[in-house]
Amino acid sequence: MSDPSSQPVVSVRDLHKQFGALEVLKGVSIDARKGDVIAILGSSGSGKSTMLRCINMLELPTSGEVAISGEVIRLKKSGTRTAIADQKQIDRIRTRVAMVFQSFNLWSHMTILENLIEAPVQVQGRHPADCVAEAKALLDKVGIADKIDAYPAHLSGGQQQRAAIARALAMHPDVMLFDEPTSALDPERVGEVLKVIRALAEEGRTMLVVTHEMAFAREVANRVIFLHQGQIEEDGPAKEVFANPKSERFRQFIATAHNH
Amino acid sequence: MDFAFLGQTFLQLFSGIPLTLQLTAVAFVIASILAVLIAIIRTRKIPVLDQIVGFYVFVLRGTPLLVQIFLIYYGLGQFRPTLQSLGLWQFLRDPYWCSILALALNSSAYASEVLRGGLRSVPVREIETARAYGMSGLRLYRRIILPIAIRRALPGYGNELILMVKATSLTSTITLMEVTGIAAKLISGSFRPVEVFVAAGVIYLAINFILTRIIAVIDWWLTPHLRRPKTIAAKLEPTHV
Repeated sequence: MSDPSSQPVVSVRDLHKQFGALEVLKGVSIDARKGDVIAILGSSGSGKSTMLRCINMLELPTSGEVAISGEVIRLKKSGTRTAIADQKQIDRIRTRVAMVFQSFNLWSHMTILENLIEAPVQVQGRHPADCVAEAKALLDKVGIADKIDAYPAHLSGGQQQRAAIARALAMHPDVMLFDEPTSALDPERVGEVLKVIRALAEEGRTMLVVTHEMAFAREVANRVIFLHQGQIEEDGPAKEVFANPKSERFRQFIATAHNH
Repeated sequence: MDFAFLGQTFLQLFSGIPLTLQLTAVAFVIASILAVLIAIIRTRKIPVLDQIVGFYVFVLRGTPLLVQIFLIYYGLGQFRPTLQSLGLWQFLRDPYWCSILALALNSSAYASEVLRGGLRSVPVREIETARAYGMSGLRLYRRIILPIAIRRALPGYGNELILMVKATSLTSTITLMEVTGIAAKLISGSFRPVEVFVAAGVIYLAINFILTRIIAVIDWWLTPHLRRPKTIAAKLEPTHV
């Protein structure tokens, strides 16, 4: 699946993030290569969502570096705070890093079709007719072709999340970031969303998935990263780390998760 | 009540409607542009500008419109040489432009507060998502923030428009012959205030009735996402709804 010789699609170097006195990330480094499906696990407060949000700079790291397909995101220091150095650069890079959120976050005033073509047309400057044709195909792929003219509020949670995944795909991203994509769903809706994410993994898409779904991590991810108190406790091929965890904390984490 | 006189009065007052509507429309457009700028400055808390427009809103909301009209119309004469050198005197000596200015400034202060409420109600998550998809600056406002904010502010904003229609009556005090101006003239000639003011009141009522209907239609048209999806569902799945 992943090619170790290629340049990493996502390269995170020694990421630190502090919220006031609270240090959420204490030096995290990750390389994701093309085709990697990385499950990021950890109990709440371990920093996994913050880490993901630092990759597209929705959270600005206190220190450290993020590069997407070899291009380092430029940051600057303004006083003690980090700031974006070049808004144009970050806007451009963000179109290559599509994020899927826990609470879907479809734009409420737009139809599903308008949600899908918004960033491709307005930000990437692609031709509307091409984007519409592609959006139809994407909605078909995630199984909600009939919802193309509906508004987000008229869809179930599972349908909204599948629309949000289609919106991410419409950007032709280099990497997709999933921030607990099934945590806000009713249990009976989780499966339909995981099925879509699994299909994307099988296509060889590069994905980082913050999740609580252990079975999903075990079966779909080719690599598992376990965060604990802002540091990587376990990092390795999914099969290995589940069969033979090196860290005692991860062993406990699997055991507790298993009992639920 | 003399109905023949009432009918005559209506006909004469009708000639003031175009000016009433014109004052409302021109002042409302200017007020809206100012209000958007003020609301954005205050929502983003842009240093210095935020304090200046905050004071502007405080003063304009805290003083009567009539006082503002008098200050602009009678007060600005003191600064005539300066205004002449700026080329503004030809506008500001004219009661029409003084009225527009007073109405626009006054309404911009109120409308900016209505819009600010709309801006504050835009879900943070939808803005964050737009950022994550490469939007920033003006594009973020144009595509996501303002469309949502304006929809949410529209009912309150419609109220502003109606207040503006009624506020135009104050411009009769600086000689404008809109509906109320004509009414005052008719009374001084006939000494029949009841018929004349009843007629004037009915005209304002009719204008505002039509405007509230128009606003309700615009609101309905802009917010399909807040309605039950009946029409959409019926269109897509005609067999089972």
